[in-house]
Formats: sequence, structure tokens, C-alpha cells
Amino acid sequence: MASSSSAIASFVEAAPPGELQDVVLDIKTLTGEDPKTASSLEPAFQKYNEEQFTTVKLPGASQAVIMSPYNALGNARYYDTESQSSFKYDYSSQNASDVQSYPLESSHADLVKSLLKSVPAQVQEHYPSATLGVFPTENDSRIAILVVANKYSPNNFWNGRWRSSYLYDPSSGALDATIKVDVHYYEDGNVRLLTDRPVSSSLSPSASATEITRQIAITEKKYQEDLNRAFGTLNEGTFKGLRRQLPITRQKIEWDKISGYRLGQDIGGGRSR
Amino acid sequence: MADPFDSALDLLRRLNPKDTTENLNRLCSLVPDLTEDLLTSVDQPLEVRRCKKTGRDYLLCDYNRDGDSWRSPWSNEFDPPVSDAELPSERVRKMEVKANEAFDVYRELYFEGGISSVYFWNLDDGFAGVVLLKKSVNPNSNSSGSWDSIHVFESAERARTAHYKLTSTVILNLGTESESLGGMDLSGNMTRQVEQDLPIDGDESHVANLGRMVEDMELKMRNLLQEVYFGKARDVVGDLRSIPPLSETNRDRATHREMIGNLSSR
Repeated sequence: MASSSSAIASFVEAAPPGELQDVVLDIKTLTGEDPKTASSLEPAFQKYNEEQFTTVKLPGASQAVIMSPYNALGNARYYDTESQSSFKYDYSSQNASDVQSYPLESSHADLVKSLLKSVPAQVQEHYPSATLGVFPTENDSRIAILVVANKYSPNNFWNGRWRSSYLYDPSSGALDATIKVDVHYYEDGNVRLLTDRPVSSSLSPSASATEITRQIAITEKKYQEDLNRAFGTLNEGTFKGLRRQLPITRQKIEWDKISGYRLGQDIGGGRSR
Repeated sequence: MADPFDSALDLLRRLNPKDTTENLNRLCSLVPDLTEDLLTSVDQPLEVRRCKKTGRDYLLCDYNRDGDSWRSPWSNEFDPPVSDAELPSERVRKMEVKANEAFDVYRELYFEGGISSVYFWNLDDGFAGVVLLKKSVNPNSNSSGSWDSIHVFESAERARTAHYKLTSTVILNLGTESESLGGMDLSGNMTRQVEQDLPIDGDESHVANLGRMVEDMELKMRNLLQEVYFGKARDVVGDLRSIPPLSETNRDRATHREMIGNLSSR
């Protein structure tokens, strides 16, 4: 049973953007049990939610809140700096409940509050729909700034997710970022884009929220431009090197004369490697 | 209640296509009853083996397998040997030899390298087969790519025509990793089917018909893969995040709408 629950856990953790419920349904059909009610799978759901920056709306709130390793309190509780509250997440109903007051206590509280004002302006300029989180972390030595943007289009068989996380160290001025893009396309097939870009930049110690926000904007723009160029390079280089669109003669093969090809014309190189 | 086999296929269509082999093993240990059906219907990257008799490389799949042995298309022998192995009939083996020669030419013209293998087997009212092609590249130490095509067909013979059913899967994996870009992996598979009636005049025309069908299918699929991998995937990234500020794009759109509005109200 241990190996089967580790197999199921790996399926849950690997669910593509927006497809966790589909994966859960498949597992249910295959095993006859609802994975959401198996306590052995709680860690897998928790890992998925925290790694994927799953968002949830607190009761009565209009904005969603990110769940991540940076605002996890344990026992499925998370906190939000914007509303200064904590909540419990129930992954089987996907709801937040038991909201309690959670005052922001950090020696960088002012910076956190300023970032909560300055980062959204930049985020709204580039993401049609995104959720943001700013949390003091690592014993209040760094500040985590997280952005997640999802776009799901299951009717057209594609889903996508962009995740950025920035860790700012006010004492050294280091800003360490990781940007991850995940796109799934599955019409008569299964195609996946997965990227992972670590970027380190340095700001002055005790940089202002405006400076940090500006650096985030520069980092993201640069990465997206690099990624777009990489699509071109893979297409023009690696993909072309695998298979030609047409033979070098620019003509399709004359199959009735196929046995004459080897005798009649030089088709070049490596007969039997 | 959904069918477990369909659910297994649905799951494999959702999880990372690069992990298909591992996930297939997990599914088989989870639901052992599905093992046989899953192994015959899920395409995995092709493995290569060297023919002991001819020294040429050939590709392995479920169709040239007997237990833990595989048949070389070049020698028609199983490795390791199988005492009561099922071999294609003399007539079908003759076509198989021709098809291997023909697709060797095809491979060189389109892939300029790589490995090809064709396997045929007898059916009650005709024959069936699989055309396999594989190529891998490493244009530089940072990038790599591989193409595996698996074309499974059935042929039912009538008087002067044959009815062909072709199911083609291409597994295309591309990856690049560098200091300035980080890691980027663009991998997956797509499957397409086609059915066609084509004239036959002797066994040689089966090989030519199959050749045309596979050539057309690969051309179509290459274009499709290019569109999905480099068009669609990139567009989705652009839908998630816009490089130009959205306020500018929205302002441009508003101006555009206003202009059109002014024109039509005149």
C-alpha cells in the first residue's frame, strides 16, 4: 500500500496548471477511492498547493491570497499580510475557513506594507490576472515577494501558469529571484513547456519598495524577452536539425522509383551507423 | 463511472510527457489488470539495439518483441534467440525487407541521420506494420532534441485497392539550458489518424502507398508540432504576461475603437 500511495502522491504533485481536479478524478476511477479523503495524501496536496502558489479567497474578500512555503503556519494554516489574518485551507473543498486576526510582526513591516502598495501597480501593468503576496521569511531576515498568474482554457485544451518569487535581503541588498513558466497543451497529444530561471541581482541594503519594484520589472521583462528568443532558437536550430520539411531536392519522394534512389542519386552519408 | 483504462490514458495525457515511462510503470503497479492494454497503447521513446548479425542499429517496440527478445529487421532474427518465435510469412517478410530499404532512403532524405526500422506482421485479411524513425541532436552542449515517430498501419486488401488505416505518433523533446536563460524544456507527443483507399498492383505498391501516406502524415505533423511548440506555447506565455504595459495596449485599443467609431458615425 505504501508504494501505491507514493505513486498517487507523485500524480497529485505533478498535476498541470488548472488540472488538479481532473487528476484527482482519474485517480478516483483507477483506485476506487477519493484521494482527497486519504490522510496519507495530505502532504502531497499541501506540497502541490505551496509549490504552485495556489490561491484562495478568504470568506467575504474580493482578492485572492497565495499559499506558499513563505506564509505557511503548519496544520494547513496560512497567513495574509494584506488583511493581517490567518486562515485554514481545506484542500478537499478548496475553501478557506476559520479566519483569525494575524497582525504583521516584522522588523521590516513598513517595507512589507510599501511593497504591498508598489508591486501591485507594476504587476497590473503586465499581468491581465495575477495574485501577489509579500511575506517576511527566514526568521525575518528576508522578504518574499510572490506573483502567480494563471490562465486556463480547458475548452481549447491548454492551461498556463507563471510563477515569480523574489527574496530580498534588506541587510545585504541581494534580490534572488526564481521565475517558472508552465504551459500545457493537450489536444490529441500532450505537450508541456516547463521553464525555471534563477536570477540574482543586487540592490543597495535597505532599498526602498520603489527600487525593489523597479528591479522586479526589469528582471521579468528581460526574462520574457530571453524566453521569446529561445523559442526562435529552438525552432530554427534544434527542431530544424531533427527533420527537414522537404528533402534537399525540395521535392517529395517518388515512391515508385524508390529502389533507384540509392543507385541513381547520391543521397549522402551514413548508410549504416 | 468512468472506465479505468480511459482514466489511465487521461492521466498520462495530463502528466509531464517526459515522465510517461515512469508514470506508466506506476500505473501498472497500481492497477496490474491494465498493464497489457497500457503497454500496447501508450507510445514511449524508442530504444536502440545493434543487430548482432549485420552490425546495424534497429529500433525496439512492442511489435518486434517476444518476451525479452527483439527481432532485428535486418536479419529477421530474435536477440536473444526464441525457439518458437512467430515470424511474418514469406510474402510479408519480403515486403518488410523492401519497406526497410525504402524507409532507409526516406530517413536519409528527411532526417539526414538517425535510425529507421519497419516491422510487418500477418493479419487474417491482410497485413499490418509499424514504421519507426528516431533521431537525436545536440547542436551544442546547452541544447538537445529528439524526434521519435511511430506509424502503425493496417492494410485490408480488396480487388484492385487496399484500405489503409494509419495511426501516427510523434514524440518531440526539446530542451535548452544556459546561464542567461535558465532551464527550458519543451516536450511532448501528438497523435493523428488517417484512413485511405489506394490502388494496388502487386506487393511493391503496398510499400509505395505506405511511403506516401507516412510522408504526407509526417509533413502534416511536422507543421502541426511547429505551430504548437513555437506558436501556441509562446502565445500562452504572452497571455499570462504581457511585455508591453497593459495600460498602453488598452489605450491603443480604445483609440482604435474610437477611430472606427468615428468613421462609422460619419
